[in-house]
Amino acid sequence: MSEIKSPGEPFEPEPTKNETFGSETPVTGQTKMQAAWSSDVENAESTAQVASMPTGQIFQQIYQPWNGTLNPRWMRNWAILRHHVLGIVSKGHRPWNVPTKLFIFFVVIASMTDAAMALLFGMIGDTTLYDIWGVNRDNMYGHVMGFFPRNILWYPIIAALLVGGMISEDRANGTSAMYFSRPINRFDYAAMKFLSVGLILFFVINGTLAVYYFVDILVMGKGWSWIIDTFPMFMATFLCGIILSFTYTSIGLALSSVSRGRFFPAIGLIAILMGTKSMAAIIDGLFDKSVLYVISPYDAVAHVCQALIGTEMTYDHPWVWSLISVVVMNGLALYLLANRVSSLEVTRE
Amino acid sequence: MSSRMDTIWSKLDRKSTAIAEFTMRQYRTRISTWAVMGASVVAIFLMLLFYIDAMNTEIEAKDNDGDSFDSDGDGYPDGQEWLEGTNPNSPESYPDWVEPDPPEKWINEDDIDWDVLANGENYVGEDDDGDCQSQDTSSQRDGNENGIDCDIVVNVDTIKGTVEIDSDNGVDEDPDEEKYGKEAGHRSFILGIGKFGIVFLLGIFLPLFLATGLIREEMTEGTIHYMLAKPIARGEVLLYRMLGYLGITWPFILGLCFVLALITGFTGPSDGIFRWADLGVWMSIAWAAMMVSLVYGTIFCGFGIIWKNGVILAILFAAWELGMTFVAILSGGDSAIRYFSVIGWGMIIVDAGVAVCWPDNWQLIEIGLWGGGHGEENWLGQMSYESLPGAEPLLAFSGKSGLGVSEWVAFVIATAILLFQGIMAWFIGQIIFKGKEVN
Amino acid sequence: MMPDMTQHGKAETQQWQPVENTPVVMFDRVSKTYGRINALSGVSIGLSGGVTGILGMNGAGKSTFFKLMMGKIKPSSGAIRLFGTDPWKNPAPYSRVGFVPEHEKMYDWMTALDFITTFARLHGMTRDEASIEATRVLKFVSLDEVMHKRIGQFSKGMRQRVKIAHALVNDPELIVLDEPLQGCDPLARTTIMNVIKELGAMGRTVLVSSHILHEIERITEQIVILHRGRVLALGNSHAIREMLDQHPHKILLDCNQPRELAKAIVDMDEVTGLSFSNPAALLIETRHLGEMHKKLPKVIVDSGQIVTGIDNPDDDLQSILMYLTGGSA
Repeated sequence: MSEIKSPGEPFEPEPTKNETFGSETPVTGQTKMQAAWSSDVENAESTAQVASMPTGQIFQQIYQPWNGTLNPRWMRNWAILRHHVLGIVSKGHRPWNVPTKLFIFFVVIASMTDAAMALLFGMIGDTTLYDIWGVNRDNMYGHVMGFFPRNILWYPIIAALLVGGMISEDRANGTSAMYFSRPINRFDYAAMKFLSVGLILFFVINGTLAVYYFVDILVMGKGWSWIIDTFPMFMATFLCGIILSFTYTSIGLALSSVSRGRFFPAIGLIAILMGTKSMAAIIDGLFDKSVLYVISPYDAVAHVCQALIGTEMTYDHPWVWSLISVVVMNGLALYLLANRVSSLEVTRE
Repeated sequence: MSSRMDTIWSKLDRKSTAIAEFTMRQYRTRISTWAVMGASVVAIFLMLLFYIDAMNTEIEAKDNDGDSFDSDGDGYPDGQEWLEGTNPNSPESYPDWVEPDPPEKWINEDDIDWDVLANGENYVGEDDDGDCQSQDTSSQRDGNENGIDCDIVVNVDTIKGTVEIDSDNGVDEDPDEEKYGKEAGHRSFILGIGKFGIVFLLGIFLPLFLATGLIREEMTEGTIHYMLAKPIARGEVLLYRMLGYLGITWPFILGLCFVLALITGFTGPSDGIFRWADLGVWMSIAWAAMMVSLVYGTIFCGFGIIWKNGVILAILFAAWELGMTFVAILSGGDSAIRYFSVIGWGMIIVDAGVAVCWPDNWQLIEIGLWGGGHGEENWLGQMSYESLPGAEPLLAFSGKSGLGVSEWVAFVIATAILLFQGIMAWFIGQIIFKGKEVN
Repeated sequence: MMPDMTQHGKAETQQWQPVENTPVVMFDRVSKTYGRINALSGVSIGLSGGVTGILGMNGAGKSTFFKLMMGKIKPSSGAIRLFGTDPWKNPAPYSRVGFVPEHEKMYDWMTALDFITTFARLHGMTRDEASIEATRVLKFVSLDEVMHKRIGQFSKGMRQRVKIAHALVNDPELIVLDEPLQGCDPLARTTIMNVIKELGAMGRTVLVSSHILHEIERITEQIVILHRGRVLALGNSHAIREMLDQHPHKILLDCNQPRELAKAIVDMDEVTGLSFSNPAALLIETRHLGEMHKKLPKVIVDSGQIVTGIDNPDDDLQSILMYLTGGSA
C-alpha cells in the first residue's frame, strides 16, 4: 500500500517497507513523484520516470533591505511607555484588568477627600474645620505619607496591582520576545516598564497632592506671600511623593522580574511592606526601640519625608539611617531588576 | 486486585495520598515556597534578636516610693528611718542604734510578688522589706481589712473582665522593675510575636502565597487536565490538594513555634533552667496558626478557582482580616465584631491557652499597672498609677474570649468554629470547582 | 457563573459499571456555545472500536469536542455519554479512559516514572501496582531507558510519548489523543503513529485529532471531519477522497517551458483546464485525479520537457474543506 504524502512535506525515511518506500530507497525524484501521486492508491506499481534532475530545491531568496529611517531611541521608548500608561484610561493599549482600573479610579477620588473637605469648609467659611483640613505642613505630609488608609490600603495595593504581571507575565507568556525582537534593548524595556508603573503611581499620589494644593490657592484666594511661604513645603512633599512612588515601584518590579504569574509579585510587595512594618511596630511596642523601622520601606521613606517636610519626627533613630535604608533598598531592588532583565530568556517559560 | 482493596488505608494510600504527596513535592520544587518560608524565618529571628537583647539589658531601677532619699539630711535614708520608727523629716530623730544604710538598699527594696498565691487565689503580695509588719497595730497592718496582714487583694474576674486592687500599706510599694519588666517583657513578646507575627502574619501570608494558586495555577497552565481526566471527583481533588498544602505549612508552623519555644524558654527569666509553662502557650499559638492557615488556605484557594484574578479578592479579604486583628488584639476581648472573622477565633485560642498556662497573667498585668500604688489623682478623683515597665505592652497583647465560658470551653468552641469555617470554605469551593468549565 | 449543583462525584470505580450495549462515545445533538460563538452545533456521533481520526482546522471544534467528552465543559444542549454515563456529572467512566491533553505544559520537575506512577494512583492503584504499570507503559512507548530522567530534560517527542504512556497506564478501553503529533519531528511522529496503530490493533477505541489529513491517513482510514462546529464528513477516508476525485482537482507542475509542456498535456481526455500561474509553472485542472496520475508521467516523459516539481496545491485538508464547504472556508 502506498503512502499518502503532502507535497510540501519533507521526505521522511520509514522503517517498514510496506508503509512507504523505506530508508534504503535512493533519494531520487521518484519518491517525491510517488508522494505527489499518492492519491493513486489502487495502483502501487505505477512508477514515475521523469526526474532526470536531482531532487531538492533551493529557493533563491531575495531580501529587500529596509531603507526607512529608524526613529530615535526616545521615540521607541515613548511608544512602550504610552502603551502601558494609556492602557489605564483608554482601549487599544495595554489591557489592564478592570479591577485594577476601578481601584485606581477609586483611590484617585478617595485621595482627594482632603481637597474636597478644604474646599467645602473654606466655602462655608467654618474656620475651625478649615484649619483642620486646609493646607498645612501636617496635612501635606499626611496626603503622601499618611499610614491609614493611604499607605496601608491605597497606594501599596495600587502598586501591587500594577506590578503584578508587569514583567512576570511577559516572561510567562513569552511576550517579552515581542519587545526584544525589535530595536529595543533590555535596559530600555525595563526602564520603560519601571517608568510606566512609577508614572501611574506618581499621577495618583502627586497629582492629587497638586490638586489639593492648587484648589486651596485658587478657591481660598491665597496671596503671593502665602504661596511663597508654603511653596517650598509643597515642593518637599512633592519630592516625597516621588520617593514613595519610586520605592514602591522598584521593589514591586524587582519582585515581578524574579517570578512568574501575577500572584507572587502582588502578594510579595504587600507582604514586604506590611510584614516589615508590623514587625517593627511589634518591636517598637514591646521594647520601645524604633530602629527596626529602617527595614520597613514605608517607614524609612516616611522618616526621610518627616525630615524633608519638617513635621514632627515619630521615630527615635536618626533620619539619616532611614535615608541610607531607602537608598540601599532601592539600590538592591534596581540591581535585582537589572540583573534579572538582562538575563531574561526570551522564550516562553 | 489485592485483598487490601477494601480497607480504608489502602484507599487512602491511593488517591488522597497520591495527590497530597504530589502537591507537597510540587511545593518543594518551587523556589517561591522556600523564599516565603525563608523570609518568614528571617523576619521572626530578626525580632527574636531584639527580644534577646532586651532580656540581656538591665532595666533601670526606679525608686518608686522615693524612700532612698534622705529628706532630713541625717545620713539615714527615709525608708530606714520609717522602718526603725524615727521621724524621717527631723534631723534630730534618727536610729543611732544601727549603721545608716546606703541609699541603693532602699531602691527596689520591696520586690513584687504577683505569683505568691499562698493566701488564696486572689491574694498576692509580700512585705519583703518588713515596713508593713513593723507597724504597731493590726488595723495599720491590714488596711484592706481582709483579715490578713500585709497583702494585696487583686480581684480579677476574667469573665466579667473587672479588676480591683486593694493593698495594705507598705506592701510591694517599691517593686523591682528588673524582675517585673523581664517577666512582662518576656510574656508580651511571646504574645506579640505569637498573636500578630505567627497567628496573623504567618497565618495569612503563607496561604496567600501558597494556596491562592493551588488550583488556579494548574488551570492556567493546563496541567489540571491530568488530574481531572481521572476517575476522581473535583471536590476530592480540591480536598487532597489542600491536604498537600497543609502537609507543607503545618510542619513549618510547628517547627518554627518549637524552635521559638526552645529559644525563649531558655532565654526568658525563670527560676529553673527552662520555662515549662510557656510550652502550653506556644502550643496554643501553633494550634491557632494551624487552624487559621487551614481556613485562609481553603478560602484563598476558592478565590483562585472563582476568578483568574482571585488574588484581588484575597487581598481585600486580607485587609478585612487585618482590621479584625487590630480589633481583636487591641479591644482585649470586648468587641463582638471579631466573631465575624477568622482571626478573631484564632486569637481566642491563644488567649485560652494563656489563661490555662499562665493563670497569674491578669494579676501580673494589674499589679504592673498599679505599680506600687504611686501616682496622682486625676480630675475625676481616680488614681492614675505609674505603671511598671512592660505592663502596658502585656496588657495590649493579652485578651479574653469574651464568650462567658471557661478557658477550655472557649478553646474547644473556637477550634470548632474555625474547623466549621474551613469545611464550609471547602464545601463552597468544591461546588464552584464542579461547576467550573476548564479550558 | 452559576455553580452546577447537579454534578455528583463519588468516583467509586468498583461500584460504577458501564451501561451494556452502548457505544463507547456517544454524542446526541450536542451543541456548545461560548457567548455568541458556536463552538459545536448539533453534533451526533457514536464511536466504538478502532482508531478514529478527528480532523478539522484550527477552531473547527476538535478541542471542544474532546473537552465535552472529558467532562471539562458542560454542553449547552444535547447529551454526551461515555460508556453510557454523563461525563460532566460523573467522573467514574474515566477509569476506562486514557486522555492525552494537547497542552504542552507538563510537570517538568518529575521523572517520567514518577509522573506516571503518581497519576496511576489516581486510578485507585496502590503505590506498588502503579509503579509496575508505569514501567510497563514506559516500555510500551520505548522510554524505559530514560524513565528516571526528569521530564524537563526530554525532547518534545519524548514528552508526547510520556503523555501517551500516562494515558495508557490504566489499560483503558478508550484512548483520546488531542493533537498528539503537533510539533513533533518526523521520527517522533512515526514512533507515535506506530504506537497509536498498535493500540488500534489491540482492539481499543482510539480517538486522534489533527488538522493534517495525510497524518491521520497514515494511522487510520476512519475519519470524522469537523468544520465550524459541525460534522462535515464521516467515514472511510478513501470513500471521502473518491467522492472528492469526482470534482475538479489541481496539479501544479514546475517546469522551464510550461507552454511546451501544455501542448503535450492538453490532448489528454481528463484535463479540463490549463493555466499558467507563473512563467515557470503549469496548473492543470482535472476531474479524474486517479486517471490523471496514471497517465501524466508517461506524457511528461514523452514530451521531453524537464519537470522539476509536482505539487497538488489543494491536496490538503483545507482544500478539501474549501470544496466541501463550497469555497467559503
